[in-house]
Amino acid sequence: MSRRRRFPLLSYLLVVSGAVLMVVPFLDMVMTSFKGPGESGRLPYRFLPETFGLANYRAALTQLNLPLLFRNSVTVTALITVSVLLTSSLAGYALAKLRFPGRDLVFRLVLTTMMFPPFLFFVPHFLILSHWPLAGGNDLFGRGGAGLTASIVALAMPFLVNGFGIFLTRQFVISIPDEILEAARLDGAGEFTLWWRIVLPQTKPVLVTLALLTFVDAWNEYIWALLISTADPDVMTLPVGIQLLQDHVDPTRTMPVVMAALVLSVLPVLALFLVLQKHYVRGVLLSGLK
Amino acid sequence: MVNTLAPETTAPATRRPQRTATGRDRARRRQSAVAYLFLAPALLFFAAFLVLPLGFALLLSTSRWAGFDLSDIRPVGAANFTGLFADGSTFLAPVLTNTLLFALGTVALALAGSVLVATCIDKLRLQGLWRTLYFLPMVTTVVAVGNVWKYMYEPGGLVNGVLNALGLGSVAFLQDPHTALPAVVVVQAWASAGSAVLVLTAGLKSVPGTYYEAAALDGAGAVTVFWRITLPLLRPSLLFVCVTQFLTGLQSFALITVMTKGGPGNATAVAALEMYRQAFSYGDWGTASAAAFVLFVVVLVITLGQLWLFRRRGEDT
Repeated sequence: MSRRRRFPLLSYLLVVSGAVLMVVPFLDMVMTSFKGPGESGRLPYRFLPETFGLANYRAALTQLNLPLLFRNSVTVTALITVSVLLTSSLAGYALAKLRFPGRDLVFRLVLTTMMFPPFLFFVPHFLILSHWPLAGGNDLFGRGGAGLTASIVALAMPFLVNGFGIFLTRQFVISIPDEILEAARLDGAGEFTLWWRIVLPQTKPVLVTLALLTFVDAWNEYIWALLISTADPDVMTLPVGIQLLQDHVDPTRTMPVVMAALVLSVLPVLALFLVLQKHYVRGVLLSGLK
Repeated sequence: MVNTLAPETTAPATRRPQRTATGRDRARRRQSAVAYLFLAPALLFFAAFLVLPLGFALLLSTSRWAGFDLSDIRPVGAANFTGLFADGSTFLAPVLTNTLLFALGTVALALAGSVLVATCIDKLRLQGLWRTLYFLPMVTTVVAVGNVWKYMYEPGGLVNGVLNALGLGSVAFLQDPHTALPAVVVVQAWASAGSAVLVLTAGLKSVPGTYYEAAALDGAGAVTVFWRITLPLLRPSLLFVCVTQFLTGLQSFALITVMTKGGPGNATAVAALEMYRQAFSYGDWGTASAAAFVLFVVVLVITLGQLWLFRRRGEDT
């Protein structure tokens, strides 16, 4: 490679200093979470803790109902990820390989759904869910109660289907040779069997990518979860619960505790990302949704 | 993807048994039914969570409603929209101006940084490692990013610690109305540079090495190569990064919610946050919906504008 003739010192310097800039905030989070009482916020600033301790982690466990927050986050993330995978793969197969009237129209509709930014939907989604008839104490006309808002399901609902997911799987299902499907049909396999036995295994790489993108987004989602769980603390997710702790009490004292909770909540995603990053990177290149 | 399976050698048509016309019709009808069955979850979802909410939001944007009884929705025409732009309304300034400054600042910083970093990464070993490090903030919840940086901006935090060590005075970044918006812009750019680096390094890989060799033969310097070869060939990736980052910048308010809640005063209030506050703090659903549609139009116009600009530039060269 002629581009790598000599040791590119300047490039190394630039990339490394940029990388330090990217990583230092994470290290500061970890260091702060280990600092002893009165150490954080003290002047002059010190990066390393004087006394390493787990007091902040213990405090996080007592001040936050971390098991509940973790359980809620896991439930919501799992619901969303499984639903997006199933609906994307089914719809993607239909749009790629089945012949039916209105196919182009449906595909164009799917593409159109990707055009609308999420902020358009916060208000109407919230109002529709809170006025859902005969749910959460509501009467037939959606009056009287909280509707569907104070529930785990409501946290997941607006994210259960993803237009981009359908588009992505369709693009991959198209590359499955028709002959394989046709041969299986001649053997008497129904479309559902075809989807389960051929389409799912053949599109595994794209499904892994989609699962990872969906998982990370769902785990990190904040605004919608904040809206839904103000009505009921029992359905709070990790980001909402931690932010609430940060908002309510004196910041300099609680910040280290918040940092400890954040370290715990960020770790699972970071670990997953590092293990499966090849798939994630491909997903970002395919979508650029970020 | 599918190379694990040997290609079918016989054409399927020759093996297909002769079917009667009615049999083919029945098969086709059954396939249509199955197709719509497979599409049903998605279509029902889009009806309930896309079409219905959009219609409802449009209705609300031209109505006044206290938010309790659906029969209390009163039409008010364009009053919610005119109210946003009336004298004394903060929507145009500072809110929309902040939104544009926030998006513009983020795109400029993230783009400049990521172009620089991506072209350098392209010359190094361990490219995957570097990209991963730049990408970490992208997979981190906004609550973590916002709080960590908020804490670093504190008087006893890392940023002021560095300033003090350099002999400079402390700055109350998030409390001073003059520095609050630039401070959150830096964080947003920091958090979104990773995906730009990713897209740009992938774009650089597709630039043929022969171009660089030819330039080297002609004795072109590194700066000339960058301006005359790298940047023009990166145009598709740059457009992609520009459009997506602008989109995110114009509509994101989670980071600001975590870090400043729009303050101090209205120094960091952006349109999506204003929409959110009108709805969920003041219960003014009509104004909130109107603001959402105005922002949608702004987003649409800016996105189409960028596409048009890039395409025209592409034809010139």
